[in-house]
Amino acid sequence: MIRRLFVTLLLLGLAGVFAGLVVSYSPDETLNLSARYYAEHTAQDIGAANIVTAIIVTFRGLDTLGEVTVLFLTAAIVGLVLSHGRREGGGSGRELPPAGELLGTGTRLLVPLILLLGAHVFVNGHLTPGGGFQGGAILASAILLLLLTDPLRRISHRLITAIESTAGLVFVGIGVLGIVLAGGFLDNRILPIGNLGELFSAGAIPIIYSFIGLKVGAEFSSMLAHLSETEDL
Amino acid sequence: MVSAIYILAVGLGTAFLLGLLRDDWRAGAYGVSLAALALMSLISAGWVWVMAAGDGRAVEILTAGTLPPYAINLRMGLAEAVLTLLINLTGLLSAVYLRDTLFKQGRRALATLLVFTMAACGIVLTRDLFNLFVFFELVAIATGGLVLLSRDQRALAAGFKYLVASQVITVLLLVGIIFAYHATGTLNIDGMAELSARVLQGGALAFFLMFIAIVLDLKPFPANGWALDIYESAHPAFSAMLSAASASAALFAADKLLLIGGPTWLPVATGIGIFGFVGANLFALAQTNDRRLLGYSSVAQVGLVLAVLGQRDLLGDRYLFIAGGILLAHAVAKAGLYWLSGLIEGRELKAWSALQGHPILIFAFASFIALLVGLPPFPGFYAKWELVIALAGEGRLALLGLILFGALLEAGYLFRWFGQALKRERSLEPVAASSFKRAVILSAVAAGWGLGYIWGALSPNGNLLLAVPLLFALVFLALEPLSVRVKNSVAIVGMVAWFLLTLPSYDPLQLIFAAVMLLGGALVLLASYQTQGRRIGFYPSAMLMYAGLAMLILAEDAFSFFAAWESLTIGSYFLILRGQRSEPHALSYMVFSLGGAFLILAGFALAAGGDPLFSLAGLAQVAAPIAPWVFLLLAIGFMTKTAAVGLHIWLPGAHAEAETDVSPMVSGILLKAGLFGLFVLLMAMGGQQLHGIELTHILLWIGALSALIGNLMAAFQEDAKRLLAYSSIGQMGYALFGLAMMNHLGWLMALMFVINHFIYKSMLFLSVGGIAKRTGTRDMYRMGGLITLMPLSFIAVLIGIIAMSGVPPLSGFGGRWIFYNAILTADYRLPMILIFISGPIAFLYLFRLIHTIFLGQLKDEHRRVKEAPFWLVLPQMIFVAFLMVFALVPGLALRRVDAYISQFHPEGALGWEGLTITSAFGYWSPISIMIVVGVIFASLFAWLLFVNRKAQKVKQFNIVFAGERPYRPETTHFAWNFFAPYRKALGFMTEPLVERFWAAVVDVLHASADLLRRLYTGNGQTYAIQLLAFVVVVYLLRTGL
Amino acid sequence: MAYIAMATGFVLILIGLYGALTNRNILRMIVAFTVANTGVNLVMVAVGYLHGRTAPILDASVPVAEAAERIIDPVPQALVLTAIVIGVGVTALMLAYAYKLYESKRTLDISAFKDLKW
Repeated sequence: MIRRLFVTLLLLGLAGVFAGLVVSYSPDETLNLSARYYAEHTAQDIGAANIVTAIIVTFRGLDTLGEVTVLFLTAAIVGLVLSHGRREGGGSGRELPPAGELLGTGTRLLVPLILLLGAHVFVNGHLTPGGGFQGGAILASAILLLLLTDPLRRISHRLITAIESTAGLVFVGIGVLGIVLAGGFLDNRILPIGNLGELFSAGAIPIIYSFIGLKVGAEFSSMLAHLSETEDL
Repeated sequence: MVSAIYILAVGLGTAFLLGLLRDDWRAGAYGVSLAALALMSLISAGWVWVMAAGDGRAVEILTAGTLPPYAINLRMGLAEAVLTLLINLTGLLSAVYLRDTLFKQGRRALATLLVFTMAACGIVLTRDLFNLFVFFELVAIATGGLVLLSRDQRALAAGFKYLVASQVITVLLLVGIIFAYHATGTLNIDGMAELSARVLQGGALAFFLMFIAIVLDLKPFPANGWALDIYESAHPAFSAMLSAASASAALFAADKLLLIGGPTWLPVATGIGIFGFVGANLFALAQTNDRRLLGYSSVAQVGLVLAVLGQRDLLGDRYLFIAGGILLAHAVAKAGLYWLSGLIEGRELKAWSALQGHPILIFAFASFIALLVGLPPFPGFYAKWELVIALAGEGRLALLGLILFGALLEAGYLFRWFGQALKRERSLEPVAASSFKRAVILSAVAAGWGLGYIWGALSPNGNLLLAVPLLFALVFLALEPLSVRVKNSVAIVGMVAWFLLTLPSYDPLQLIFAAVMLLGGALVLLASYQTQGRRIGFYPSAMLMYAGLAMLILAEDAFSFFAAWESLTIGSYFLILRGQRSEPHALSYMVFSLGGAFLILAGFALAAGGDPLFSLAGLAQVAAPIAPWVFLLLAIGFMTKTAAVGLHIWLPGAHAEAETDVSPMVSGILLKAGLFGLFVLLMAMGGQQLHGIELTHILLWIGALSALIGNLMAAFQEDAKRLLAYSSIGQMGYALFGLAMMNHLGWLMALMFVINHFIYKSMLFLSVGGIAKRTGTRDMYRMGGLITLMPLSFIAVLIGIIAMSGVPPLSGFGGRWIFYNAILTADYRLPMILIFISGPIAFLYLFRLIHTIFLGQLKDEHRRVKEAPFWLVLPQMIFVAFLMVFALVPGLALRRVDAYISQFHPEGALGWEGLTITSAFGYWSPISIMIVVGVIFASLFAWLLFVNRKAQKVKQFNIVFAGERPYRPETTHFAWNFFAPYRKALGFMTEPLVERFWAAVVDVLHASADLLRRLYTGNGQTYAIQLLAFVVVVYLLRTGL
Repeated sequence: MAYIAMATGFVLILIGLYGALTNRNILRMIVAFTVANTGVNLVMVAVGYLHGRTAPILDASVPVAEAAERIIDPVPQALVLTAIVIGVGVTALMLAYAYKLYESKRTLDISAFKDLKW
């Protein structure tokens, strides 16, 4: 009880800070320094129609590399944590009721479509809302669906890891190519930036984003697979 | 040089690459990871080289081919290069250290380690706020993974607590970043720093949230239970990375944020930092688990660096030197200690006694502790010197005091630990034999010494590692495999050679001290020939002490004086610690000495007025409002070494428990360092008044009381070495009294004591040591009748006590004579009476030495006792000869000094005509006194022989122990509690009040540490609440101020 | 509009933190943290919002020349994506930890894991 009271008091204090932030907040009327630059220069410098994508993949590409690494790291650690002391062939003793007809058929029908949608989302990341992370998450949802249908299904970790690693290496490799061929690490202008709005435009962005999509999909799948392989306690 | 971005690219690329390798190809994966870490280190090292060799201008690294602030940019400057090198090397060495674990865990663990290292470098390199956040998250997540490398099951819970805390931090940081972005329209740190005013007006709260979040990443005391649990339970190699790499990176991030916060936020950083430094060090006092103790120490050190970051406004271009010195020293030492802890099986502090018998590891342990405490010649020493000078110059005295207090606490628990490791019963658990791990530890030792060299080279005060005496002492580390005889000869030759070499540069006063310390030291070292084997550890310590003494005498500026002072303190600590039961005494010696050293440091700093090159001569120019305080600080500091009453409790144990040949070194020689300091002080500053009180008058009282109490305590001892030790307190009291009289004869008398006390105390300690060695006891009542068995020792003791008691004809009388002349000229009646009274008391204890040990009944078990070993007797006989010569021709030494003192006190000089010395009150003719006494003695002796010519010789054991019960002799032996009636009368004066006072201080500190640390309940949720409470409290304090 | 979103975000943060700091069940704590993270994301997006403008995608309705007057601030949008992904990562990691913690002591009560203290 005292703890709750104390926490409430502390949060009231924090709320005071937040209230201060809200009160002193005045919405911008015009774009600020950075945002104006992005609005005015993205089209000609980067060639991506989706400015957010330009920021994520190029201007703040290092963040995104870090972000991808977060997922990579999490997947690795989840694997490390959960594979720790796991008994071999675990789960074989369990008998689960078969998934319903509806789920089974639905899965067979939907999985290719979901994968296709995922690919579409990340390939068009520089043109439309969406991108590698969104697309990757959609890809992983296909895996989730598979696992829901058959919880005992084993997803090949080797395949997942191979995709993940290759995609990561390509990302870093393209980044380094940026230093060699263009203006710096992760510069997208190692390829022609093309015409705004076309699929093959914005230099290396579609490639990077596609690999990010694959990588994110692989990483989410890997985490899902690891979590589903845990035994019921 | 390759772009610094490759540090990140290589780290990440390799981490990704590991996924492509086959799972069972472990060696390959491990090799690739090591290669990557080595490459990253190499790139950093290259940049350090570029920055150090070139103009040191930072290089901007653009990404995305776009200029900042529109794209993320990195920066590689000197600080960045050094820090990334530190991080990468720590990662590399930890990976080597973790070889077996990483082999077992496979490539996932390797990838995590690589990402951790890469991300810590990213924190250092990036100039973008949000990017900083991303790297922080990477480090946090990687920490969550690497914690699990530990075999300790509890690490799991610790990792979860850590994640909970980092979630809260994330929330605060993100909210802060987005509002700061809103206020400035940029995420670039330098861009924001330019708009600092706008941030601090509209975005003050946003800045607060960012700042506090980064501060929380530093694991600030006391909102850091989660971090301490990690330190305790994680694999030591990972704790090393956490403490060395990630803490350093986070500190650099805090430094970047302070660019934005500007002068308004500097005091906040200092406040949080210093609170953590003192608090965490206090809590560490109650720790018994080694790794948790190191965790507390890390928290404290990080706090200290944060406090220094907050002082950047006054440190100017010395900022990097100071902050970097402390930070790097801490990182190397802490990593080394964590790695070392991995070799030891038990987790109790006492378990480190397993190191006994591994001299190299003990050397590593000692080096790390010295690095951590900031002792010379390590970087922290130079850094602390300049820091303290700068703080005092600017009048930030409270901060200065807190820093020194915290450092003293830290030294206290670290040296307690070291003492336990060396002196406790050796743990049966073996030390892990892995040569990989040892190589890693040794590379940390090398790094520590290397940094010491670099910081010395960068310091305007000169490089201590180039000082010949110190180098000479270090040479003995390399000579350790040789036998005692060789090393002893090298040591003696070296000391004499140094004395002869420097002879021309001494003034008469310095000459006396140099002769006592160096030639006298060499003479005492003769006694060391009697030890066998290699005596590992003795020579480096002894030579370090002598090096300190040699440098002290020649010091011209405050820095070299202080460096020498600390060197001799460390050396003598190691020496004292060698005694069999000396663990607690060595510790109290160290704590008092360091406390005294810090007072001296504070005194110099106050006097220096911000000038790190302050010369000792400058003390004379210190003006009124500060001068008495400088005087007070320095005087108290020096009096810890002379063991003035009140600061004396370390002395009896330390001197009595020391080895036979060490006792004369630490008593006869080391105590003089304090007197030398007092001489320097009084010569430069003279008398000072504080609130109308003459400070030298207080010294006079302290001297008189020390003489009285010291002598009284000595009279009631049963242990012969303790008796001598207490008598030193009394003798130093006389010397202090003489100095404080501030007149010609007083000073002359103090110098007489320097020489006399050295000779007879060294001699007595050697002979009593020899007797104790032969009889196996130091209790006087267990001895008796040794006169016929140990005649040479008897002569030494006899001459010694004659000299010491100040009766004619020996030099002690000369001392007394000058002394009585001196006090006749002074007008302080009461302390004079005290000093008069203590004279006869000295007779009481001196009498016991000769009477109880050599006369009376021989004990049955001592019937076959032989004379003390030759090498112990030889120096005693040389001392006897000296005493005789000095008694006959005191002018040899004193005449020049007398003339020298006339510069300071022209009045009252003695007259030196031929062999007769005259003062205003009379004259002293040593030779005629010697003749008179000789004649009286000879005639009495002849008469005694004549009346006893018919006496019949009786075998002693015929009369069956002369009424003593041989077992439990202390109950009936007449010599036990010999002065019982006096004790009844005067015992109240020997009540250990001072001891009780200091014990109470220590108890209060420990008890509060033990009570307060219960704050860390172990509940992860409570930790998160404390974290929020910390935020709210800092906010309230900040707005309240 | 922005104010409402922002205030909602802050309230979510506070609710999330309250839940995380008062629920002893580890799973509930994790869920509470995701609530708080969502709040943070909401606040971030709200800060980047400009009244009466549209998404920062250049197409027929937002010609390049008028972009600066037509779009909202794209930076917070980019940041929030990163923040979401990182949040997902940390949540997954915490879940894995929760599993192992439960395995070790057969309880999810955070106060049961106090072997390390003081």
